[in-house]
Amino acid sequence: MPMTTNEAAETLRDITRTERRSASAYGYGEASPHLILWGLVWAVGYTFAWLRPQWNWTWLALAVLGSLGSFWIGARARAGKRAGYDWRFGATFAAVFLFIAALFAVMPPHTNNQAGAFFPILVALGYALVGIWARGWRMTLLGAAVAALTLFGFFALPAQFAPWMAVVGGGGLILGGFWLRSV
Amino acid sequence: MDQPNAIIHQPVRLKIMAALKPLPQSEKLEFVRLKAIVGATEGNLGAHIATLEEAGYVVVEKDFFANRPRTRVALTRPGRRAFEDYVADLREIIGTSGA
Repeated sequence: MPMTTNEAAETLRDITRTERRSASAYGYGEASPHLILWGLVWAVGYTFAWLRPQWNWTWLALAVLGSLGSFWIGARARAGKRAGYDWRFGATFAAVFLFIAALFAVMPPHTNNQAGAFFPILVALGYALVGIWARGWRMTLLGAAVAALTLFGFFALPAQFAPWMAVVGGGGLILGGFWLRSV
Repeated sequence: MDQPNAIIHQPVRLKIMAALKPLPQSEKLEFVRLKAIVGATEGNLGAHIATLEEAGYVVVEKDFFANRPRTRVALTRPGRRAFEDYVADLREIIGTSGA
C-alpha cells in the first residue's frame, strides 16, 4: 500500500528528531575531553592563584599547556579521518586572543578576582552560544551554571574566590565533561 | 511513486540510518550510543544492523578500546545515498521536493 502524506510527514519528523539527537550526542562526545582537560587546568590554576598568588606565570603556563592539550585531543579525534586541519579553529583561537588583549588594553582588570572571573564568564558565553546554535541544551545549561557559579563566588565569596573557582569551576567543568559523555 | 526503500523504511532501521547520517563521512558511532539514540534492545538493534550491513548500507567494526570490546557502526557511501534518496522520496510524497 502506498505511503500517505501524513505518514511521510510523520516519518520525516522522526528522522529530524533522531538526526538532531545523534548530532548533539556526537558534539557532546567531541566536547567532553576538552571540558575535562580545561576543568583540570582551572582546578590547578585557581589553586595556585589561592596558595601562591604571586606566581602569575602559572596561568600563562597552564593556558599554553591546556591549548596544546586541546590541539592534541582534536588531532587524535581526527586521526584516520579524511578531514584535514580546519583553519577556522586557529582563526577562532587568534580572534578570541586578540579580543581579550584589546579588551584588557581598554579596560584592564584591577583585581585578581576580576581577572579570575572574566575568563570563566567568557567560556560560559562560548558554551551557551555553542549550545544554542548546535541545539545542545546540555552545553547551554553548562554555560549558564559556570556563569552563575562564577558570579556567586565573585560577589558572595570575594575572599575565597580562588578556592571556590578551583573546586566549583574546575570540578564543575570536569563533571560537566563526564555528563556530556554520558549521552 | 512506488513504496520507499523497504530496507530503510522499517522503523528501527530508519532510526539507525538517521542517527548515522549527521556524522562526518566514515565516522563511526559506538553501539551503546546508537542503542541509546535509537531506543532499541541490544538484540533487536543487532539484528537490524545486520540487515543494513547485508544491504551494504552500514559497516560494522569490532575492536578493543581501553581493554574492552567495542562495536562501532558507520554509514557507507551507498548507504548515505540510499538514505538521501529515501528522504527525497518522502519529500516528494508530501510535495516539498523543490527545496
